[in-house]
Amino acid sequence: MQLVQGGNPRAFELMYDRHGGAAFSLAYRMVGNKVTAEDITQEAFLSIWRSRLRYDQARGSVRTWVLGIVHNRAIDALRRGTVHERRRETLDGVEERHEAKERTDVEAARREEARSVHSALDELPEEQRRTIELAYFGGFSHSQIADMLGMPLGTVKGRMRLGLEKMRLQLAEGFTPGELV
Amino acid sequence: MTGPDHARFHEDTAAFLLGALTDGEQRAFELHMEQCPECRDEVERLRPAADALPRSVEQIPAPDRLKSALMDVVESEAREDPARPARRRRLRDLLPGPALRPALAGGLLVLALLAGYGVAQLSTDEDQRTIAAKVDDSRVPMASAELRIEGEGDDGAVLSAEGLPDLGGRRVYQAWVLRGDKVAPAPTFVAATDGTGTVTVPEDLSGADAVLVTREPRGGTRVPSENPILRVDL
Repeated sequence: MQLVQGGNPRAFELMYDRHGGAAFSLAYRMVGNKVTAEDITQEAFLSIWRSRLRYDQARGSVRTWVLGIVHNRAIDALRRGTVHERRRETLDGVEERHEAKERTDVEAARREEARSVHSALDELPEEQRRTIELAYFGGFSHSQIADMLGMPLGTVKGRMRLGLEKMRLQLAEGFTPGELV
Repeated sequence: MTGPDHARFHEDTAAFLLGALTDGEQRAFELHMEQCPECRDEVERLRPAADALPRSVEQIPAPDRLKSALMDVVESEAREDPARPARRRRLRDLLPGPALRPALAGGLLVLALLAGYGVAQLSTDEDQRTIAAKVDDSRVPMASAELRIEGEGDDGAVLSAEGLPDLGGRRVYQAWVLRGDKVAPAPTFVAATDGTGTVTVPEDLSGADAVLVTREPRGGTRVPSENPILRVDL
């Protein structure tokens, strides 16, 4: 990452190779459209390149930083335009649209990790899981979610907190990929 | 200790992490957080769950044209950025005048080859490194393992083992990250029927001393119950 911060394009390319797929996958999961996902991913990586000196290792891994930027960009795109209207109808649950190839052990292990987080989400009560998914993957604000689900704003906020708290505990207590093999 | 308007903002911690606040609400929450240790702590406590969410997404490959388009811009901006390629400029500045250049051509070729080798090595090292594990032969005599670390280890690593005994349904293998005299729990895993086992250690390994593996009750524990059967010194 130091080489990226020094402005080295080859180091940046390596960083893209490492995290570009996850970034594109997250964008696609959120907007449900490959062209828009491509735009979001490109915008996010250009923003990363141009603001590379802002990365602070103490605040998390490179991957978390990259995915956070992609998430924010996707939310901006969703709230800006028409994507939300299309997505509003297809937010029931986590839809698996593609079979990814297992090209390396690392990718295989990441798929295991994905299953672990999936399971932690699935373990949540339906209303908490749905609230979290609408917020994180759907890009809806808490007020929009309250309107959509016809419930008080305080209830929505409470479900988000409870859901994240339960997920945190499940992930911390070894609800892990190995368990699911 | 809480900041002003704590009661109003405290309910927003999860919404903040999930990106569910509007721009104005988010700015207000960030301002509040600067003055409110309790909200800061709550955000940091819940952050691992929010950060895990994108890892649940099914991975699909990005189109090749995306990388091409991106790198075109990056390469172009890197060439225009006067602050960047100081090393290249210094080498060029060190070249002698035109009259002496042919005499140095052979030497520069060697230099170029050496530089190319150095870059290739750097890329390989940057991309991935593998470290073999030390094994307690008395307890897992057939086992071997290695830890594969991508980049600088800030994205964690993958531990792959072979020759692991089946522990039955009640016990699992658990990874740990050792820093100084502190041990942090990492995920558990089980051995497949052929004795292989793989686990992702998602924690940032920068500054860690070792990755360990023990045998623990199903579900894992917060404190190791035995000395490690595998140890990878970082």
